[in-house]
Amino acid sequence: MILDLHTHSIKSDDGRAKVENYCQWIRTRELPIDGFVLTEHRQFDLESDYSGLAGEFGLTILKGAEVETEYGHVLVFGVTEPLMQEFDFGNIHLPLARVIEACESHGAVPVPCHPGRKRVGMSAHLEEHGVPEGVRIVEIYNGGSRDNEDQVAQDMARDLGYLGIGGSDAHIVSHVGRCATRFPAPITSEQVLVEALNAGEFEAVTFREAG
Amino acid sequence: MTVQTVRDVEFGEDLPVFDPDTTLDNVIRFTEAAGWRGPRFTDHEAARKEGLPGALVPGIMSQGFLCAMIHRWAPPARIVEVDTIFRAPVIVDQAYHINGVVTDIDEDAGRVEVDLTVTNDKGETRVFGTAKVDLPTAGT
Repeated sequence: MILDLHTHSIKSDDGRAKVENYCQWIRTRELPIDGFVLTEHRQFDLESDYSGLAGEFGLTILKGAEVETEYGHVLVFGVTEPLMQEFDFGNIHLPLARVIEACESHGAVPVPCHPGRKRVGMSAHLEEHGVPEGVRIVEIYNGGSRDNEDQVAQDMARDLGYLGIGGSDAHIVSHVGRCATRFPAPITSEQVLVEALNAGEFEAVTFREAG
Repeated sequence: MTVQTVRDVEFGEDLPVFDPDTTLDNVIRFTEAAGWRGPRFTDHEAARKEGLPGALVPGIMSQGFLCAMIHRWAPPARIVEVDTIFRAPVIVDQAYHINGVVTDIDEDAGRVEVDLTVTNDKGETRVFGTAKVDLPTAGT
């Protein structure tokens, strides 16, 4: 199963895509992905229920979040209401150590995203803050990467022993599925996704060259 | 074939790719017409002294390219909104390609949404956004 682990909908301040249109796009263009995770900026969307769309289009639609730390942006998978009480998702100055500690306490998985990007990526902050404790997975393919950002991410992951995921970082409909993550077994829920990530059973993939 | 009514449009349809003229001469013409003449748009060396990678194509000129692309595809279109997010500068005298795809259609209202992406020769996204476009409904 292949999931795009990094997407934004109109729930994000800079997102312009409706979730239904993501689904239509994936099916119309016959994209080689089986679903996606909505990782809205600085929030977890408790209200929206996409099970109807998931059923209609035969896609897996899960929810996560993208929060902001001194090491840059971090995807969080397996968000629960108790986790949301641990820190303010809207705070753009979260300590990464606090996010990791809270995720570990509540069975969630933190994943620094676009780590090769200046300013909002983890690698840009290693010299100032040192190598953070507790990071196990980073995003090594990001659909919005420019220049050598993905290569920087892959080099960092190799040097520090991190596993890698892929995500499109789509903010508009036609960008979904540019990068994704392959799992050997079906991912049917956020909990199953967390288990697969914790087990290290995944592989980052990119479809950008295929257009 | 150009689009005349909303019924000519299909979800997922690609607009013809548009390669904008980002030459310095064209940018100078634009900035003079717009009253935006400034060295960061019209002089590579002056722009580099400001820490920029080269002279910039003004944002409103990039938005104009997006609108031109839509009108080439659908001459009767009324562009309601172009919403752009600039991820990286668009540099004068470099090659760019604008792609557009139809991502939502409301046939009753005659409204179409289009994703717009400005990429460079390496396929990197410099600008992306969406446009809301009104087209004549069939029979009008």
